[in-house]
Amino acid sequence: MKRELLIFTLGAAVLSGPLCAETNDEPTARNAAYSVAGAFTNDGFSIREGHWTGRIEVGKPKIVQVNLYAGNQYWFSIGTTPAAKKVSLSIYDETGKPLPSEPYADNGKAAAGFSPEASGPYFVKVDETEGDPCTFCLLYSYK
Amino acid sequence: MTFLRRVGYGPRMIRNFRMLAGWAAALVLCATARAQTAADSAPLTSQEMTSAAKIDSFSIPTPAELMAALNKLGKPDWSDEIRPPIATNLSSRAQMALNLGGLIADGYIAVEAEDAQQVKNIGKDIMTLAKPLGVQQDILNRGKSLTEFAEHGEWIALKEEFESTQNEVKKAMIENKDQDLVTLVTLGGWIRGTEVISDYLSKHYTEAGAKLLRQPAIVRFLSDKVMNLPEKMRDDQALKKVRSKLADIETSVSFPRDHPPTVEAVKTLNTLTSDLMNELAKKGGK
Repeated sequence: MKRELLIFTLGAAVLSGPLCAETNDEPTARNAAYSVAGAFTNDGFSIREGHWTGRIEVGKPKIVQVNLYAGNQYWFSIGTTPAAKKVSLSIYDETGKPLPSEPYADNGKAAAGFSPEASGPYFVKVDETEGDPCTFCLLYSYK
Repeated sequence: MTFLRRVGYGPRMIRNFRMLAGWAAALVLCATARAQTAADSAPLTSQEMTSAAKIDSFSIPTPAELMAALNKLGKPDWSDEIRPPIATNLSSRAQMALNLGGLIADGYIAVEAEDAQQVKNIGKDIMTLAKPLGVQQDILNRGKSLTEFAEHGEWIALKEEFESTQNEVKKAMIENKDQDLVTLVTLGGWIRGTEVISDYLSKHYTEAGAKLLRQPAIVRFLSDKVMNLPEKMRDDQALKKVRSKLADIETSVSFPRDHPPTVEAVKTLNTLTSDLMNELAKKGGK
């Protein structure tokens, strides 16, 4: 019973806001990213602990290289500080060609699902399309 | 999940938290999911690709990701890939860091093999190598968790523990102004991972499996990092051995997307990585 109560309490904390009060922007963005990525753990996805953080603003996207394996499925998840209103994620192959992905976006959070057909390098572009300059955190999950 | 640990939550609580967060977010996702759409943005320019961020903890996959891909192609007997214990009384810090990365990769293999005793042995060796590198205190709790989870057969939690152990080792190295050693931990882990996968594929060859060995950007990233190490470190005997083999390894993992290596080419890669790991594990490498 205590365990269920604990789970409920933790859940309420998740739904009501950041897990703990920190003034630093990065933990805020990271919590937001984990709240998106957490959805995929029920489907057997493991969250990679490493993450990428930085600042973005409208018209100034950021790009990171990743290395993915064919056969795996991936979800990239981004969280931001409240200044961002809309963000998006795009995935490109090693030649820079945009690739289709499963999109999700909601109030400064976004995710993109992707299953590479070939192993190798890919690029993920983080874009803010509406809002003020913000801090972002990008995570990925795989299975 | 390191963040949650820092604010005082234990491993089981974190998993419960994850599950609940997952359910909550899944509800939101289900309500807003859209059908898959074709990509409609412009291609990246060569300038954008060249200047893209490349980060050790994000751009270089963990051994678990490679193993997850291979697990979909069959049911590898990972216990075949467990190697005998390596020497841990090494004198060169560079050699220690390379072997520490290799040991962490061994940890993932032991977890896939569900071999509790091996997990505990590897955890002990990791702690032994971490001491002279000045990062043992930072991962003391990880060592205890590895033992505890191994005794209870908590294999999923163990994968997370090995990833967390690697991250905390690297974080401690950065804090100790040993940033260069971080590259070597990553490099040692990647070489060991590639050795194991190429060994498996050389015995159970499939084209789909061989395509997983395509990792040109990873080895290029690591080669660049090695070339930018301080001269004194680059002259370390262990690093000299790595540098002498890295170009050949890069060639072996840089094949075109639709042309997987032959079984002979996979065996060549395995020989390269296996010989290198054996050399790196030898005492007296300074």
